[in-house]
Amino acid sequence: MPENYSDIFIKDIMTQDVIAVKEDDPVEHIFELFDKYHFNTYPVVNNEGKLKGIIDQDIMLEIIMFHHIHCTKQTHMAAVRSLGESAKEIMIPHPVTISPDANLQDAADMMLKHHINRVCVVENDKLVGIISKKSIISEVYKKKEAEWWSIYSCCC
Amino acid sequence: MEHILLLLLILFLAKVFGEIIERAGFPSILGEIFAGVFLGLLWFEPGGEVLSFLAELGAIFMLFTAGYMEVNINELRKASRLALTPTMFSMAIPFLLGYLLGQAFGFGFLASLFMGVAFSLTSIGVVVKTLIDLKYLSSRPGSVMLTSAIFDDIIGIFILAILVTIATMNQLPSGMQLLLIVVKLAGFMLIITFMGLKVYPWLFNLVHRMHVKEGIFAFVVMVALFSAYLAEVFGLHAVIGAFIGGALLSDIPFAKIESVQNKVSGLAYGIFVPIFFAFIGLSMNLGGVQTAGLFTVLVIVLALAGKLIGGFVGSKLIGFEFHDSLIFGIGMMPRAGVELVVIAVGKDMGIITDEVFSAIVLMVVVSVIVSPILLKFVIQVNKSKKQQLPTIKD
Repeated sequence: MPENYSDIFIKDIMTQDVIAVKEDDPVEHIFELFDKYHFNTYPVVNNEGKLKGIIDQDIMLEIIMFHHIHCTKQTHMAAVRSLGESAKEIMIPHPVTISPDANLQDAADMMLKHHINRVCVVENDKLVGIISKKSIISEVYKKKEAEWWSIYSCCC
Repeated sequence: MEHILLLLLILFLAKVFGEIIERAGFPSILGEIFAGVFLGLLWFEPGGEVLSFLAELGAIFMLFTAGYMEVNINELRKASRLALTPTMFSMAIPFLLGYLLGQAFGFGFLASLFMGVAFSLTSIGVVVKTLIDLKYLSSRPGSVMLTSAIFDDIIGIFILAILVTIATMNQLPSGMQLLLIVVKLAGFMLIITFMGLKVYPWLFNLVHRMHVKEGIFAFVVMVALFSAYLAEVFGLHAVIGAFIGGALLSDIPFAKIESVQNKVSGLAYGIFVPIFFAFIGLSMNLGGVQTAGLFTVLVIVLALAGKLIGGFVGSKLIGFEFHDSLIFGIGMMPRAGVELVVIAVGKDMGIITDEVFSAIVLMVVVSVIVSPILLKFVIQVNKSKKQQLPTIKD
Protein backbone atom coordinates (compact mmCIF):
# COMPACT_ATOMS: atom_id res chain seq x y z
CA MET A 1 0.00 0.00 0.00
CA PRO A 2 1.46 3.43 -0.92
CA GLU A 3 2.51 5.68 1.95
CA ASN A 4 0.29 8.58 2.91
CA TYR A 5 2.09 11.84 3.51
CA SER A 6 -0.97 14.04 3.81
CA ASP A 7 -0.53 14.27 7.61
CA ILE A 8 2.84 15.95 7.25
CA PHE A 9 2.26 19.70 7.09
CA ILE A 10 4.46 22.28 5.41
CA LYS A 11 4.68 24.38 8.59
CA ASP A 12 6.36 21.41 10.33
CA ILE A 13 9.05 20.76 7.73
CA MET A 14 9.68 24.17 6.11
CA THR A 15 12.85 26.19 6.66
CA GLN A 16 11.85 29.15 8.81
CA ASP A 17 15.21 30.85 8.89
CA VAL A 18 15.00 32.09 5.31
CA ILE A 19 17.71 34.09 3.55
CA ALA A 20 15.62 36.72 1.79
CA VAL A 21 16.45 39.74 -0.32
CA LYS A 22 14.99 43.21 0.39
CA GLU A 23 13.22 44.97 -2.48
CA ASP A 24 15.80 47.76 -2.57
CA ASP A 25 18.89 45.58 -2.21
CA PRO A 26 21.36 46.31 -5.00
CA VAL A 27 22.04 43.68 -7.66
CA GLU A 28 25.66 43.36 -6.42
CA HIS A 29 24.36 42.15 -3.04
CA ILE A 30 22.26 39.48 -4.78
CA PHE A 31 25.30 38.27 -6.73
CA GLU A 32 27.12 37.94 -3.38
CA LEU A 33 24.26 35.79 -2.02
CA PHE A 34 24.42 33.47 -5.01
CA ASP A 35 28.17 33.21 -4.55
CA LYS A 36 27.95 32.57 -0.81
CA TYR A 37 25.04 30.11 -0.60
CA HIS A 38 24.00 27.21 -2.79
CA PHE A 39 20.27 28.00 -3.15
CA ASN A 40 18.90 28.48 -6.65
CA THR A 41 16.03 30.81 -5.67
CA TYR A 42 15.78 33.70 -3.20
CA PRO A 43 12.54 35.36 -2.08
CA VAL A 44 12.25 39.16 -2.31
CA VAL A 45 10.38 40.87 0.54
CA ASN A 46 9.40 44.44 1.42
CA ASN A 47 10.03 46.20 4.72
CA GLU A 48 6.92 44.58 6.25
CA GLY A 49 8.16 41.11 5.36
CA LYS A 50 5.57 40.64 2.60
CA LEU A 51 6.65 38.49 -0.32
CA LYS A 52 7.00 40.60 -3.48
CA GLY A 53 8.81 38.24 -5.86
CA ILE A 54 11.62 35.79 -6.37
CA ILE A 55 15.05 35.89 -8.00
CA ASP A 56 16.46 32.67 -9.38
CA GLN A 57 19.68 31.53 -11.06
CA ASP A 58 18.13 31.89 -14.52
CA ILE A 59 17.58 35.62 -13.97
CA MET A 60 21.12 36.16 -12.69
CA LEU A 61 22.60 34.19 -15.59
CA GLU A 62 20.46 36.18 -18.02
CA ILE A 63 21.74 39.47 -16.55
CA ILE A 64 25.42 38.44 -16.57
CA MET A 65 25.28 36.94 -20.05
CA PHE A 66 22.78 39.37 -21.59
CA HIS A 67 25.32 40.96 -23.92
CA HIS A 68 26.64 37.61 -25.06
CA ILE A 69 23.60 35.37 -25.44
CA HIS A 70 21.96 34.80 -28.78
CA CYS A 71 19.68 37.62 -29.86
CA THR A 72 16.46 35.58 -29.71
CA LYS A 73 16.90 35.57 -25.93
CA GLN A 74 17.29 39.34 -25.93
CA THR A 75 13.61 40.06 -25.41
CA HIS A 76 12.20 43.40 -24.32
CA MET A 77 11.62 42.11 -20.78
CA ALA A 78 15.17 40.71 -20.57
CA ALA A 79 16.55 44.05 -21.81
CA VAL A 80 14.60 45.97 -19.14
CA ARG A 81 15.81 43.49 -16.51
CA SER A 82 19.44 43.84 -17.62
CA LEU A 83 19.26 47.54 -16.76
CA GLY A 84 17.83 46.86 -13.28
CA GLU A 85 19.86 48.08 -10.33
CA SER A 86 17.85 46.71 -7.40
CA ALA A 87 16.06 43.47 -6.50
CA LYS A 88 12.59 44.83 -7.32
CA GLU A 89 13.72 45.74 -10.83
CA ILE A 90 14.96 42.27 -11.72
CA MET A 91 12.68 39.96 -9.69
CA ILE A 92 9.88 37.79 -11.04
CA PRO A 93 6.77 39.31 -9.42
CA HIS A 94 3.85 37.22 -8.14
CA PRO A 95 5.61 33.88 -7.64
CA VAL A 96 3.77 30.64 -6.93
CA THR A 97 3.39 30.18 -3.15
CA ILE A 98 2.06 27.57 -0.74
CA SER A 99 0.23 27.86 2.60
CA PRO A 100 1.90 26.57 5.79
CA ASP A 101 -1.24 24.45 6.33
CA ALA A 102 -0.82 22.61 3.02
CA ASN A 103 0.66 19.12 3.24
CA LEU A 104 3.79 17.51 1.88
CA GLN A 105 1.91 15.84 -0.99
CA ASP A 106 0.55 19.20 -2.18
CA ALA A 107 4.05 20.69 -2.22
CA ALA A 108 5.61 17.71 -4.03
CA ASP A 109 2.80 17.72 -6.59
CA MET A 110 3.31 21.46 -7.24
CA MET A 111 7.09 21.11 -7.57
CA LEU A 112 6.98 18.16 -9.96
CA LYS A 113 4.14 19.55 -12.06
CA HIS A 114 5.76 22.95 -12.57
CA HIS A 115 9.49 22.11 -12.29
CA ILE A 116 10.00 24.34 -9.24
CA ASN A 117 12.81 23.60 -6.78
CA ARG A 118 11.86 25.91 -3.89
CA VAL A 119 8.41 27.26 -3.02
CA CYS A 120 7.87 30.26 -0.72
CA VAL A 121 5.53 29.57 2.21
CA VAL A 122 3.23 32.53 2.72
CA GLU A 123 0.63 33.41 5.38
CA ASN A 124 -1.38 36.64 4.98
CA ASP A 125 1.03 37.74 2.23
CA LYS A 126 3.98 37.46 4.66
CA LEU A 127 6.89 35.15 3.97
CA VAL A 128 6.99 32.63 6.83
CA GLY A 129 9.28 29.99 5.35
CA ILE A 130 10.50 28.13 2.33
CA ILE A 131 10.10 24.53 1.26
CA SER A 132 12.49 22.80 -1.10
CA LYS A 133 12.62 19.46 -2.89
CA LYS A 134 15.57 18.58 -0.66
CA SER A 135 13.56 19.10 2.56
CA ILE A 136 10.71 16.93 1.22
CA ILE A 137 13.09 14.14 0.23
CA SER A 138 14.78 14.32 3.67
CA GLU A 139 11.44 14.22 5.46
CA VAL A 140 10.16 11.23 3.47
CA TYR A 141 13.50 9.45 3.92
CA LYS A 142 13.34 10.07 7.69
CA LYS A 143 9.85 8.56 7.85
CA LYS A 144 10.83 5.55 5.74
CA GLU A 145 13.98 4.99 7.77
CA ALA A 146 11.95 4.95 10.99
CA GLU A 147 9.60 2.36 9.44
CA TRP A 148 12.49 0.18 8.24
CA TRP A 149 14.00 0.28 11.71
CA SER A 150 10.67 -0.69 13.33
CA ILE A 151 10.27 -3.66 10.89
CA TYR A 152 13.90 -4.67 11.42
CA SER A 153 13.62 -4.52 15.22
CA CYS A 154 10.34 -6.54 15.15
CA CYS A 155 11.96 -9.25 13.01
CA CYS A 156 15.00 -9.45 15.24
CA MET B 1 -2.83 16.42 -48.27
CA GLU B 2 -1.95 19.72 -49.98
CA HIS B 3 -2.55 21.63 -46.74
CA ILE B 4 -0.17 19.36 -44.86
CA LEU B 5 2.52 19.84 -47.54
CA LEU B 6 2.01 23.62 -47.53
CA LEU B 7 2.24 23.76 -43.74
CA LEU B 8 5.39 21.66 -43.82
CA LEU B 9 6.98 23.88 -46.48
CA ILE B 10 6.02 27.11 -44.68
CA LEU B 11 7.48 25.99 -41.37
CA PHE B 12 10.60 24.55 -43.02
CA LEU B 13 11.32 27.60 -45.19
CA ALA B 14 10.42 30.07 -42.40
CA LYS B 15 12.91 28.45 -40.05
CA VAL B 16 15.67 28.00 -42.69
CA PHE B 17 15.31 31.53 -44.10
CA GLY B 18 14.90 32.91 -40.57
CA GLU B 19 18.18 31.28 -39.51
CA ILE B 20 20.06 32.59 -42.57
CA ILE B 21 18.73 36.13 -42.00
CA GLU B 22 19.43 36.02 -38.28
CA ARG B 23 23.02 34.88 -38.87
CA ALA B 24 23.37 37.81 -41.25
CA GLY B 25 22.52 40.05 -38.29
CA PHE B 26 18.85 40.83 -39.00
CA PRO B 27 15.71 39.63 -37.20
CA SER B 28 14.24 36.28 -38.27
CA ILE B 29 10.88 37.90 -39.11
CA LEU B 30 12.43 38.96 -42.45
CA GLY B 31 13.28 35.35 -43.26
CA GLU B 32 9.73 34.30 -42.41
CA ILE B 33 8.28 36.96 -44.74
CA PHE B 34 10.74 35.94 -47.49
CA ALA B 35 9.64 32.32 -47.03
CA GLY B 36 6.10 33.43 -47.93
CA VAL B 37 7.29 35.54 -50.89
CA PHE B 38 9.35 32.57 -52.13
CA LEU B 39 6.37 30.21 -51.89
CA GLY B 40 4.23 32.79 -53.71
CA LEU B 41 6.81 32.99 -56.51
CA LEU B 42 6.79 29.20 -56.83
CA TRP B 43 3.15 28.29 -57.16
CA PHE B 44 1.22 28.70 -53.94
CA GLU B 45 -1.79 30.96 -53.55
CA PRO B 46 -2.66 32.59 -50.20
CA GLY B 47 -6.38 32.14 -50.80
CA GLY B 48 -6.90 28.86 -48.89
CA GLU B 49 -9.18 29.10 -45.86
CA VAL B 50 -7.03 26.77 -43.76
CA LEU B 51 -3.89 28.89 -44.24
CA SER B 52 -5.65 32.19 -43.56
CA PHE B 53 -7.18 30.70 -40.39
CA LEU B 54 -3.76 29.49 -39.21
CA ALA B 55 -2.31 32.93 -40.00
CA GLU B 56 -5.10 34.55 -37.97
CA LEU B 57 -4.21 32.27 -35.08
CA GLY B 58 -0.61 33.44 -35.59
CA ALA B 59 -1.66 37.10 -35.21
CA ILE B 60 -3.79 36.22 -32.15
CA PHE B 61 -0.98 34.29 -30.44
CA MET B 62 1.65 36.88 -31.31
CA LEU B 63 -0.32 39.63 -29.59
CA PHE B 64 -1.44 37.36 -26.76
CA THR B 65 2.20 36.43 -26.07
CA ALA B 66 3.20 40.12 -26.21
CA GLY B 67 0.61 40.95 -23.53
CA TYR B 68 1.22 37.76 -21.50
CA MET B 69 5.01 37.73 -21.46
CA GLU B 70 6.21 41.26 -22.12
CA VAL B 71 3.73 43.60 -20.45
CA ASN B 72 4.03 44.21 -16.75
CA ILE B 73 1.13 46.41 -15.66
CA ASN B 74 3.09 47.79 -12.68
CA GLU B 75 5.93 48.84 -14.97
CA LEU B 76 3.55 51.08 -16.91
CA ARG B 77 3.20 53.53 -14.03
CA LYS B 78 6.94 53.98 -13.88
CA ALA B 79 7.16 54.27 -17.66
CA SER B 80 4.44 56.90 -17.87
CA ARG B 81 6.53 59.63 -16.24
CA LEU B 82 9.47 59.21 -18.56
CA ALA B 83 8.29 58.03 -21.92
CA LEU B 84 4.81 59.43 -22.51
CA THR B 85 5.81 62.63 -24.35
CA PRO B 86 8.34 61.08 -26.76
CA THR B 87 5.98 58.15 -27.41
CA MET B 88 3.05 60.43 -28.25
CA PHE B 89 5.15 62.49 -30.66
CA SER B 90 6.77 59.47 -32.27
CA MET B 91 3.27 58.10 -32.91
CA ALA B 92 1.37 61.28 -33.80
CA ILE B 93 3.65 62.60 -36.57
CA PRO B 94 3.93 59.35 -38.59
CA PHE B 95 0.18 58.84 -38.07
CA LEU B 96 -0.47 62.24 -39.60
CA LEU B 97 1.92 61.59 -42.50
CA GLY B 98 0.35 58.18 -43.20
CA TYR B 99 -3.15 59.65 -43.14
CA LEU B 100 -2.20 62.59 -45.38
CA LEU B 101 -0.42 60.30 -47.86
CA GLY B 102 -3.56 58.16 -48.10
CA GLN B 103 -5.67 61.27 -48.69
CA ALA B 104 -3.20 62.64 -51.28
CA PHE B 105 -3.48 59.41 -53.29
CA GLY B 106 -7.25 59.53 -53.14
CA PHE B 107 -7.85 56.67 -50.70
CA GLY B 108 -10.95 56.70 -48.55
CA PHE B 109 -11.10 57.99 -44.97
CA LEU B 110 -10.80 54.51 -43.45
CA ALA B 111 -7.96 53.35 -45.72
CA SER B 112 -6.06 56.55 -44.85
CA LEU B 113 -6.68 55.95 -41.13
CA PHE B 114 -5.34 52.39 -41.44
CA MET B 115 -2.24 53.76 -43.15
CA GLY B 116 -1.82 56.27 -40.34
CA VAL B 117 -2.01 53.53 -37.70
CA ALA B 118 0.40 51.27 -39.63
CA PHE B 119 2.84 54.20 -39.84
CA SER B 120 2.57 55.07 -36.13
CA LEU B 121 3.71 51.84 -34.47
CA THR B 122 7.23 50.73 -33.49
CA SER B 123 8.98 47.40 -32.88
CA ILE B 124 11.85 48.15 -30.56
CA GLY B 125 13.10 44.53 -30.56
CA VAL B 126 14.83 45.10 -33.90
CA VAL B 127 17.23 47.73 -32.52
CA VAL B 128 17.76 46.21 -29.06
CA LYS B 129 20.58 44.02 -30.43
CA THR B 130 22.31 47.08 -31.98
CA LEU B 131 21.99 49.02 -28.72
CA ILE B 132 23.48 46.08 -26.82
CA ASP B 133 26.35 45.60 -29.27
CA LEU B 134 27.25 49.29 -29.05
CA LYS B 135 26.79 49.31 -25.24
CA TYR B 136 24.07 51.93 -25.59
CA LEU B 137 21.10 50.10 -24.06
CA SER B 138 21.66 51.64 -20.63
CA SER B 139 22.04 55.13 -22.11
CA ARG B 140 19.19 57.61 -21.67
CA PRO B 141 17.80 57.17 -25.22
CA GLY B 142 18.12 53.38 -24.86
CA SER B 143 16.16 53.17 -21.62
CA VAL B 144 13.48 55.62 -22.85
CA MET B 145 13.15 53.53 -26.04
CA LEU B 146 12.53 50.43 -23.94
CA THR B 147 9.82 52.08 -21.84
CA SER B 148 8.35 53.86 -24.84
CA ALA B 149 7.89 50.53 -26.62
CA ILE B 150 5.48 49.36 -23.89
CA PHE B 151 3.23 52.39 -24.47
CA ASP B 152 3.51 52.13 -28.23
CA ASP B 153 1.93 48.67 -28.37
CA ILE B 154 -0.86 49.53 -25.92
CA ILE B 155 -1.80 52.83 -27.60
CA GLY B 156 -1.63 51.10 -31.01
CA ILE B 157 -3.99 48.35 -29.86
CA PHE B 158 -6.56 50.86 -28.59
CA ILE B 159 -6.40 52.91 -31.80
CA LEU B 160 -6.86 49.69 -33.77
CA ALA B 161 -9.87 48.81 -31.59
CA ILE B 162 -11.55 52.13 -32.41
CA LEU B 163 -10.59 51.85 -36.07
CA VAL B 164 -12.02 48.36 -36.48
CA THR B 165 -15.28 49.44 -34.88
CA ILE B 166 -15.52 52.44 -37.21
CA ALA B 167 -14.62 50.18 -40.14
CA THR B 168 -17.46 47.77 -39.40
CA MET B 169 -19.84 50.77 -39.64
CA ASN B 170 -18.24 51.58 -43.00
CA GLN B 171 -18.63 55.33 -42.50
CA LEU B 172 -17.53 58.21 -40.32
CA PRO B 173 -19.47 57.68 -37.06
CA SER B 174 -22.18 60.07 -36.00
CA GLY B 175 -22.42 61.27 -32.39
CA MET B 176 -24.72 58.37 -31.50
CA GLN B 177 -22.48 55.82 -33.19
CA LEU B 178 -19.43 57.27 -31.46
CA LEU B 179 -21.25 56.76 -28.16
CA LEU B 180 -21.95 53.16 -29.22
CA ILE B 181 -18.23 52.61 -29.89
CA VAL B 182 -17.36 53.93 -26.44
CA VAL B 183 -20.07 51.75 -24.83
CA LYS B 184 -18.84 48.67 -26.72
CA LEU B 185 -15.22 49.30 -25.74
CA ALA B 186 -16.22 50.00 -22.13
CA GLY B 187 -18.41 46.87 -22.03
CA PHE B 188 -15.59 44.73 -23.39
CA MET B 189 -13.04 46.23 -20.98
CA LEU B 190 -15.44 45.79 -18.04
CA ILE B 191 -16.03 42.09 -18.72
CA ILE B 192 -12.41 41.24 -19.54
CA THR B 193 -11.06 43.18 -16.53
CA PHE B 194 -13.59 41.45 -14.25
CA MET B 195 -12.43 38.09 -15.66
CA GLY B 196 -8.78 39.07 -15.18
CA LEU B 197 -9.13 40.35 -11.62
CA LYS B 198 -11.80 38.05 -10.18
CA VAL B 199 -12.38 34.95 -12.30
CA TYR B 200 -8.93 33.99 -13.64
CA PRO B 201 -7.11 33.98 -10.25
CA TRP B 202 -9.81 31.70 -8.83
CA LEU B 203 -9.91 29.57 -11.99
CA PHE B 204 -6.14 29.03 -12.14
CA ASN B 205 -6.09 28.03 -8.47
CA LEU B 206 -8.66 25.40 -9.36
CA VAL B 207 -6.94 24.29 -12.58
CA HIS B 208 -3.66 23.90 -10.69
CA ARG B 209 -5.32 21.12 -8.67
CA MET B 210 -6.63 19.27 -11.73
CA HIS B 211 -5.10 15.89 -12.50
CA VAL B 212 -5.46 16.17 -16.27
CA LYS B 213 -2.20 16.63 -18.20
CA GLU B 214 -1.08 20.16 -19.16
CA GLY B 215 -4.15 21.70 -17.52
CA ILE B 216 -2.64 25.15 -16.89
CA PHE B 217 -1.12 25.40 -20.36
CA ALA B 218 -4.47 24.47 -21.92
CA PHE B 219 -6.27 27.08 -19.82
CA VAL B 220 -3.79 29.81 -20.77
CA VAL B 221 -4.45 28.98 -24.43
CA MET B 222 -8.19 29.02 -23.66
CA VAL B 223 -7.84 32.53 -22.15
CA ALA B 224 -6.20 33.64 -25.42
CA LEU B 225 -9.03 32.17 -27.49
CA PHE B 226 -11.77 33.40 -25.13
CA SER B 227 -10.40 36.98 -25.07
CA ALA B 228 -10.10 36.96 -28.87
CA TYR B 229 -13.66 35.63 -29.25
CA LEU B 230 -15.09 38.08 -26.71
CA ALA B 231 -13.51 40.98 -28.62
CA GLU B 232 -15.19 39.75 -31.81
CA VAL B 233 -18.53 39.48 -30.03
CA PHE B 234 -18.19 43.16 -29.08
CA GLY B 235 -17.38 44.10 -32.66
CA LEU B 236 -13.65 44.53 -32.00
CA HIS B 237 -10.94 42.49 -33.67
CA ALA B 238 -9.76 39.20 -32.14
CA VAL B 239 -6.12 40.40 -31.84
CA ILE B 240 -7.17 43.28 -29.58
CA GLY B 241 -8.84 40.89 -27.14
CA ALA B 242 -5.85 38.54 -27.27
CA PHE B 243 -3.40 41.31 -26.29
CA ILE B 244 -5.52 42.58 -23.39
CA GLY B 245 -6.33 39.02 -22.25
CA GLY B 246 -2.60 38.24 -22.17
CA ALA B 247 -1.77 41.39 -20.19
CA LEU B 248 -4.43 40.51 -17.60
CA LEU B 249 -2.68 37.20 -16.88
CA SER B 250 0.56 38.99 -16.04
CA ASP B 251 -0.17 39.07 -12.29
CA ILE B 252 -1.52 35.52 -11.85
CA PRO B 253 1.20 33.26 -10.39
CA PHE B 254 -0.03 29.90 -11.75
CA ALA B 255 -0.59 31.33 -15.23
CA LYS B 256 2.93 32.81 -15.27
CA ILE B 257 4.89 29.72 -14.25
CA GLU B 258 8.11 29.61 -16.31
CA SER B 259 7.41 26.15 -17.78
CA VAL B 260 3.92 27.26 -18.91
CA GLN B 261 5.34 30.46 -20.46
CA ASN B 262 7.86 28.37 -22.41
CA LYS B 263 5.10 26.17 -23.79
CA VAL B 264 2.94 29.15 -24.84
CA SER B 265 5.96 30.80 -26.46
CA GLY B 266 6.76 27.52 -28.25
CA LEU B 267 3.23 27.25 -29.59
CA ALA B 268 3.30 30.88 -30.77
CA TYR B 269 6.84 31.34 -32.10
CA GLY B 270 7.43 27.71 -33.04
CA ILE B 271 4.32 27.31 -35.17
CA PHE B 272 1.68 30.01 -35.53
CA VAL B 273 3.67 33.28 -35.74
CA PRO B 274 6.00 32.05 -38.54
CA ILE B 275 2.85 31.01 -40.44
CA PHE B 276 1.45 34.52 -39.98
CA PHE B 277 4.61 36.22 -41.32
CA ALA B 278 4.90 33.73 -44.20
CA PHE B 279 1.23 34.41 -45.00
CA ILE B 280 2.04 38.14 -45.12
CA GLY B 281 4.85 37.41 -47.58
CA LEU B 282 2.61 35.10 -49.58
CA SER B 283 -0.09 37.79 -49.75
CA MET B 284 2.34 40.39 -51.15
CA ASN B 285 1.63 41.51 -54.66
CA LEU B 286 5.11 42.16 -56.07
CA GLY B 287 3.71 43.28 -59.44
CA GLY B 288 1.54 45.82 -57.63
CA VAL B 289 4.57 47.22 -55.78
CA GLN B 290 6.33 47.83 -59.11
CA THR B 291 3.36 49.57 -60.73
CA ALA B 292 2.75 51.74 -57.67
CA GLY B 293 6.42 52.82 -57.68
CA LEU B 294 6.10 56.41 -56.46
CA PHE B 295 3.49 55.49 -53.87
CA THR B 296 5.67 52.67 -52.50
CA VAL B 297 8.71 54.96 -52.29
CA LEU B 298 6.66 57.64 -50.49
CA VAL B 299 5.27 55.06 -48.04
CA ILE B 300 8.81 53.98 -47.14
CA VAL B 301 10.27 57.50 -46.93
CA LEU B 302 7.39 59.11 -45.02
CA ALA B 303 6.94 56.22 -42.58
CA LEU B 304 10.63 56.27 -41.66
CA ALA B 305 10.94 60.08 -41.70
CA GLY B 306 7.78 60.44 -39.61
CA LYS B 307 9.18 58.25 -36.84
CA LEU B 308 12.54 59.99 -37.00
CA ILE B 309 11.03 63.47 -36.77
CA GLY B 310 8.40 62.49 -34.16
CA GLY B 311 10.96 60.71 -31.98
CA PHE B 312 13.44 63.57 -32.37
CA VAL B 313 10.95 66.30 -31.43
CA GLY B 314 9.40 64.28 -28.58
CA SER B 315 12.73 63.46 -26.97
CA LYS B 316 13.99 67.04 -27.45
CA LEU B 317 10.95 68.18 -25.45
CA ILE B 318 12.00 66.08 -22.45
CA GLY B 319 15.49 67.56 -22.56
CA PHE B 320 17.55 65.23 -24.77
CA GLU B 321 20.62 66.62 -26.54
CA PHE B 322 20.70 66.76 -30.36
CA HIS B 323 22.54 63.46 -30.88
CA ASP B 324 20.55 61.56 -28.24
CA SER B 325 17.30 62.84 -29.83
CA LEU B 326 18.55 61.62 -33.21
CA ILE B 327 19.43 58.22 -31.76
CA PHE B 328 15.98 58.02 -30.13
CA GLY B 329 14.25 58.95 -33.40
CA ILE B 330 16.15 56.32 -35.40
CA GLY B 331 15.55 53.74 -32.67
CA MET B 332 11.80 54.26 -33.06
CA MET B 333 11.91 53.67 -36.85
CA PRO B 334 11.64 49.88 -37.19
CA ARG B 335 8.28 48.21 -37.59
CA ALA B 336 7.56 44.49 -37.35
CA GLY B 337 4.82 42.55 -35.60
CA VAL B 338 1.82 44.66 -34.61
CA GLU B 339 1.98 46.88 -37.71
CA LEU B 340 1.75 43.80 -39.94
CA VAL B 341 -1.24 42.66 -37.91
CA VAL B 342 -2.85 46.09 -38.46
CA ILE B 343 -2.51 45.93 -42.25
CA ALA B 344 -3.54 42.26 -42.33
CA VAL B 345 -6.74 43.30 -40.50
CA GLY B 346 -7.25 46.21 -42.93
CA LYS B 347 -6.76 43.94 -45.95
CA ASP B 348 -8.98 41.25 -44.48
CA MET B 349 -11.78 43.80 -43.97
CA GLY B 350 -11.38 44.97 -47.57
CA ILE B 351 -10.33 48.49 -46.51
CA ILE B 352 -6.80 48.63 -47.90
CA THR B 353 -5.89 47.45 -51.37
CA ASP B 354 -3.23 44.92 -52.38
CA GLU B 355 -0.92 47.80 -53.44
CA VAL B 356 -1.15 49.57 -50.07
CA PHE B 357 -0.69 46.25 -48.26
CA SER B 358 2.39 45.33 -50.32
CA ALA B 359 3.91 48.83 -50.02
CA ILE B 360 3.57 48.74 -46.21
CA VAL B 361 5.07 45.23 -46.00
CA LEU B 362 8.01 46.53 -48.06
CA MET B 363 8.28 49.52 -45.71
CA VAL B 364 8.44 47.09 -42.74
CA VAL B 365 11.21 45.11 -44.47
CA VAL B 366 13.20 48.29 -45.30
CA SER B 367 12.74 49.69 -41.77
CA VAL B 368 14.03 46.48 -40.21
CA ILE B 369 17.14 46.51 -42.44
CA VAL B 370 17.88 50.26 -42.40
CA SER B 371 17.26 51.18 -38.73
CA PRO B 372 20.04 49.11 -37.10
CA ILE B 373 22.56 50.25 -39.75
CA LEU B 374 21.62 53.91 -39.33
CA LEU B 375 21.56 53.61 -35.55
CA LYS B 376 25.03 52.08 -35.52
CA PHE B 377 26.35 54.88 -37.73
CA VAL B 378 24.87 57.71 -35.60
CA ILE B 379 26.01 56.17 -32.29
CA GLN B 380 29.54 55.73 -33.60
CA VAL B 381 29.65 59.32 -34.92
CA ASN B 382 28.37 60.52 -31.54
CA LYS B 383 31.01 58.50 -29.68
CA SER B 384 33.88 59.74 -31.87
CA LYS B 385 32.70 63.36 -31.48
CA LYS B 386 32.64 62.98 -27.70
CA GLN B 387 36.17 61.56 -27.78
CA GLN B 388 37.39 64.51 -29.86
CA LEU B 389 35.98 67.09 -27.45
CA PRO B 390 38.75 68.83 -25.47
CA THR B 391 38.70 67.95 -21.78
CA ILE B 392 39.43 70.38 -18.90
CA LYS B 393 42.93 68.88 -18.56
CA ASP B 394 43.67 69.68 -22.22
